[in-house]
Amino acid sequence: MAAVKTFLYLFVYPGILFLFVYSTFCEWFDRKLYARLQNRIGPAYTGFAGILQPVADFFKLLFKEDIIPEKADRTVFSVLPVVGLAIVITAGLCLPLWNYDLDRSSFNSFQGDIIVVLYLLGLPTLIFFLAGWHSTNFFSTIGGVRVLTMLFGYEVPLFLAVLSPAIVADSWRLAEISYFYQRFPFLLLFQVIGFFVAVIALQAKLERTPFDIPHAETEIVGGTFTEYSGKKLAFFRLMIDIEMVVGSGLIASVFMAGFSGGLIPGLVRFIVKTLFVIAVLSIIRAMCSRIRIDQMVNFSWKYLTPFAVLQLLISIFVKGIIQ
Amino acid sequence: MRLKPAAFLPELLRHIFKKPATVQYPFEKLSVPGDFRGTPVLKPELCIVCRSCVRDCPAFAIEITELSAEEKRYRMIIHNDRCVHCAQCAESCPTKAITMNNEFEIATDSRLKLKTEYIYTRPKKATQQSTEK
Amino acid sequence: MKRIKIPVGPQHPALKEPISLRMTIEGEVIKDADIRLGYNHRGIEKLAESKTYIQNLYLTERICGICSHSHTTCFAQGVEALLGLEVPKRGLYLRTLVAELERIHSHLLWFGIAAHEAGFDSLFMYTWRDREVVMDILEIISGNRVHYAINTIGGVRRDLDNSQKGRILEGIEFLKKRTGYYTNLGTTEPTFVARTAGIGLLPKEKAISLCAVGPTLRASGVPSDVRKDDPYAAYSELPFDVCTADTCDVLARVVVRVKELIESYKMIEFIIKNLPSGDVKVKAPRRIKEGEVVSRYEAPRGENIHYIKSNGTDKPERLKVRAPTLGNYPATIEMLKNGYVADIPLIFAAIDPCICCAERFVEITDSRGYRNIITMNEIKRRYPSRHINKDYIWPL
Repeated sequence: MAAVKTFLYLFVYPGILFLFVYSTFCEWFDRKLYARLQNRIGPAYTGFAGILQPVADFFKLLFKEDIIPEKADRTVFSVLPVVGLAIVITAGLCLPLWNYDLDRSSFNSFQGDIIVVLYLLGLPTLIFFLAGWHSTNFFSTIGGVRVLTMLFGYEVPLFLAVLSPAIVADSWRLAEISYFYQRFPFLLLFQVIGFFVAVIALQAKLERTPFDIPHAETEIVGGTFTEYSGKKLAFFRLMIDIEMVVGSGLIASVFMAGFSGGLIPGLVRFIVKTLFVIAVLSIIRAMCSRIRIDQMVNFSWKYLTPFAVLQLLISIFVKGIIQ
Repeated sequence: MRLKPAAFLPELLRHIFKKPATVQYPFEKLSVPGDFRGTPVLKPELCIVCRSCVRDCPAFAIEITELSAEEKRYRMIIHNDRCVHCAQCAESCPTKAITMNNEFEIATDSRLKLKTEYIYTRPKKATQQSTEK
Repeated sequence: MKRIKIPVGPQHPALKEPISLRMTIEGEVIKDADIRLGYNHRGIEKLAESKTYIQNLYLTERICGICSHSHTTCFAQGVEALLGLEVPKRGLYLRTLVAELERIHSHLLWFGIAAHEAGFDSLFMYTWRDREVVMDILEIISGNRVHYAINTIGGVRRDLDNSQKGRILEGIEFLKKRTGYYTNLGTTEPTFVARTAGIGLLPKEKAISLCAVGPTLRASGVPSDVRKDDPYAAYSELPFDVCTADTCDVLARVVVRVKELIESYKMIEFIIKNLPSGDVKVKAPRRIKEGEVVSRYEAPRGENIHYIKSNGTDKPERLKVRAPTLGNYPATIEMLKNGYVADIPLIFAAIDPCICCAERFVEITDSRGYRNIITMNEIKRRYPSRHINKDYIWPL
């Protein structure tokens, strides 16, 4: 029985199948909302209101010609998308969804899993850098360097912002943090700054406007993905979508009291809360223009990090009062 | 000059529940104005074969050949694939035999389908004058 | 740091037409820039020599898809000067009306493109949505959205009636409101200002010495505008100001264009309210006696020059077109130097390049009269050597 449960957990819910379906849905939601913000229609024909468009895009890309540059390192070049996909799916398994028990730690819910999720979400950046570097294309190389430069900008505020609710909750386990805030929801009011810092840093991590600097289409063609095509590009796109789901899931479980209530209510809570985060991400995407890499680093160290530190101080202060 | 962060936000949010500006073209069509310059068509009964359209057409899209001299039979071919829709032929025509219609969806899979051929007899002077009246 | 050369173009997402910008960069900083033309030469000048003046009107219209009216007007003005024709007042006013509507559509299009190059897609979508209004007005007036074909030698081809006037005023009223909003937005949205302010600097002296034209020149604080300096059509009777800005950067170019939009609205309202009555055209003879003329026109992108030489037949002996973009290329290189890689598309887009219009064939002959021509055989000989040897450098 336990084996079946684990199997279901890994492959169906919230494993690969669920993440695939839900991440394509999230891409559709993001695209549709982005289009409506711009007074456009967005995807319209595939399925109801174009809901199957991201799936159609994925399968179309699977059957497209797959080109590997002559001078690229064939192995690394081909392996990177799969490894990246595996990393973000693993991160997705650690979200406190369905199969976790507060009293008993299991393989996917343990003390310190918040650190593991953050670490696993940090790895795609490295994957993007390697992808850009091993493409041996000037545009890809510039894109790869920009990926790493940006990492130094957003990683610190993201960590600080996500860890401050954990300090108040006095736990390094996502399930326990969520449970803590379900009991004391008013404490979330002290985390508002941290929520916005985390959302903006997540926007940068997902490389969306105004932080789509590493694959700025009008500047460096496709950036890191210039040389990728076919299956590999499909996997990369799926990886970014799943990263978006996992990132917003992380923010929802830390800042928005998680997804309690078992299978169905938990799922509903998960969908509502992550869609809220994704909507905020889409609105940010629609209202900004892309900034330059130096401006981005400037912004994150001048504004984002101080706010994250402020949030940290508030959290410590609040914790002192609670005790 | 003061900077306002999120200056675009109200405009964006205002449009979420508004009707999109997009016209879903093949399913719903916008109307074209009455004097739209579409495809040139010939009214053969009016043509007096003065060839001023042939002379003025910038794209050499009009061709007139004489089929028989005694019967006064002519063939005019309007190559709509070469046409640049400038309506100079309609303007040059002294009898208004060429007019532009409202047709704008003229894409086909073959150039030959765009070719329109008119075989007609040149009207006698008298009938010509009567149609002018 | 190692210097690398990156090719921006001939095929690149930032460029809508083929041109090659070769950037020598150090990290993210551009150290040197070079422009290569000639990817889209169409032989229009040669073609013009084999067509009559009437046919050439439609040929010159097709030099550019965006400022199509500017080229025909420039050509028609030249021919009318050669013929000594007096165009009726109403014809001139209608010509000016279409010219200003075209300027509005071109500037709105440019504003959208600049926003897109800066990654601001929402602004791009909104400006292009509003641009549809002016496109519809142009379609109502002339019967087509892009190639208006309103000019003829000796005037314009179509008259304006009252319902059309009403539609134009309605549309202008709407656009006025929207332009006010975009002016506000373009100068206050922090990310957009951060991308445009202080980049692509072109000081006043440099702008003059490098012969920049149009909004690029006016954004460097030089009040030069053919409409004011050498008025043609109805411009001598219209109330308008030459718009300048003095920050010399991309933001200044945005500001100049937005100001010009507002001037255009003023002019159009004036034209509609003070449209003289009478004919719209006079009949022009087909043959033109020998002579030559230079015609100038302020296109949305800058000064447009046509040189026409006639030889007594119904075809011109020579037509030379200087499209405004060509005048802005040297200034672009100056602007690109010491900029960031991220700013290439914005700086290049800020001159509003219209690359095909500016493509002209130049035959270089040395002092001995030797013409450097690559024969077909030579190309055939070079091609396989590149195909076999991967490191072969293509001679340019």
